[in-house]
Amino acid sequence: MTSPAAAPPTALSPGAGVGLRLPHLAAAAAGAPLAGWVEIHPENFLANPHARELLLAVRERSAVSFHTVGVSAGSADGVDREHLARVAALARELEPFAISGHLAWSTHRGLFLNDLLPLPYDDDTVAIVAANVHEIQDTLGRAYLVENPASYVALGASKLAEAEFLAELVDRTGCRLLCDVSNVHVSGSNLGYDAYAYLDAFPAHAVAELHMGGFAAEISGDAAGAQVLIDTHDGPIADTVLELYAHALRRFGALPTLIEWDSDLPDLALLVNEAARADRAALGALAGPMAHVAAAR
Amino acid sequence: MSPPLAELQARIAGALLAGDGRGLAADLVRGSAERFRVHLRNYEESLAAALRDKFPACAWLLGAELLDAAARAFARAHPPRRPCIAEYGAEFPRFVAAFGRAAELAYVQPFAELEWAVGNAAIAVDSEPLAWRSIASLGTDGLLATHVTLQQGLRYLRVPCRVDELMTIYLGDRATPAAFALDASPAHLEVRGARGAVSIALLEDAEHAFRAALAAGEAIGAAAERALDVDGAFDAGAALRRLVDAGSVTRIRHSPEGAAS
Repeated sequence: MTSPAAAPPTALSPGAGVGLRLPHLAAAAAGAPLAGWVEIHPENFLANPHARELLLAVRERSAVSFHTVGVSAGSADGVDREHLARVAALARELEPFAISGHLAWSTHRGLFLNDLLPLPYDDDTVAIVAANVHEIQDTLGRAYLVENPASYVALGASKLAEAEFLAELVDRTGCRLLCDVSNVHVSGSNLGYDAYAYLDAFPAHAVAELHMGGFAAEISGDAAGAQVLIDTHDGPIADTVLELYAHALRRFGALPTLIEWDSDLPDLALLVNEAARADRAALGALAGPMAHVAAAR
Repeated sequence: MSPPLAELQARIAGALLAGDGRGLAADLVRGSAERFRVHLRNYEESLAAALRDKFPACAWLLGAELLDAAARAFARAHPPRRPCIAEYGAEFPRFVAAFGRAAELAYVQPFAELEWAVGNAAIAVDSEPLAWRSIASLGTDGLLATHVTLQQGLRYLRVPCRVDELMTIYLGDRATPAAFALDASPAHLEVRGARGAVSIALLEDAEHAFRAALAAGEAIGAAAERALDVDGAFDAGAALRRLVDAGSVTRIRHSPEGAAS
């Protein structure tokens, strides 16, 4: 008889996890301390058997979520079915507690453009994205978490605010939402809207996960020389984002929160410390529900 | 009326591939057009970085600047067709070999192809190898129609000159020699890798033909015929025994839908 304690963890407590990227994989598989859970990009494992083998070892002791970067829920010509089937097969193997992706598009007529590209927020686009999300959810056999993007440009065809668009998508598909707090800050700064008002309009009932990551500022090359914030995931979480995170927690409640740090990767221990920092921030924002998480760190 | 999404996406894709977002001015809200450069940069830089990661030996051989320039040009000329970037770059060896001053060096393409093979072999995992007794019990007639599955980290290449010697210097982390005399004779190579470790072995022509045919899915009898075309004295039984004893065979199956072991 299998001991329940020996089963890989599937239930998830609210609290911070870390993105597990390939350079940290061997250490994680060998037992290095991890945060409460880890998120992986399935695209890093589909064609890398060694990484997949190491990930299976990590999975024995840690809850895992999937964050896809190639499903392209916003493509007018539909999702990449072959790719989606590969992600679904990996999900059957690893049983992630959540699978998420972006409100964006990356594929066009058989080409993969390796970026998260902007969508116009209008009724026609809602219909296309909803059809794609239905197909994604049917294939995965579960609700898909759709993440608000980091935006650099706004499209003139947009008729809806992003939060309105996401609310409509939730209504049509039953999908859940991943609120990337750093993206809210970055997009608000770039497109000139108030990040707190954005969170207040976000469909709170559908939010199932939060993200935070580092960003960088650079000066635009246009005549005005305006500042542009870039979602770089290459450093610690800014205090301004932690303040926004506290607001998000008060509005959405305690939720699994991922620390995204993908570039200029620090030691795994520093990344885990960053997760603990997020938990402390959560403790300050929500003294009740998060207290047990922070106390355990 | 706003353009259909597909048309808009076609224009954005075209801008990314051209590296020029000026044609999108009518689609973008005023003030956004200049920031589209972030997407232009993301596209080029992310793919160039992926190629730099896959071809560090080529950067060592050609210089980081040339390799980076070739990677950026390749990203525009050959956009990925699959979302799994780990699979991107199979056509890069041919491309880089014709790029800039690399075109003057005949060994660049085989060297890059060898690096691609080494990289893919290194991320493989070994499976439990089959014991010789599992095959020996089949008898000669059964054996000829049998297919074998080899370890996933095996690759077979024919190179027109000894780029494997160059690769061995690179993989050995030895100081780059001031001068290197490249042996211009062709060679047949077996690259074997698993869990980050890689080895490169020279094979006799007939042995290479036999193993490469097996790796391509041909039955043992057909693979033996290919080897015999190269060397009339080729001993297929002994070659198969060597392959099995090296732990290279993981599974056998009878053609076309017979029982599996």
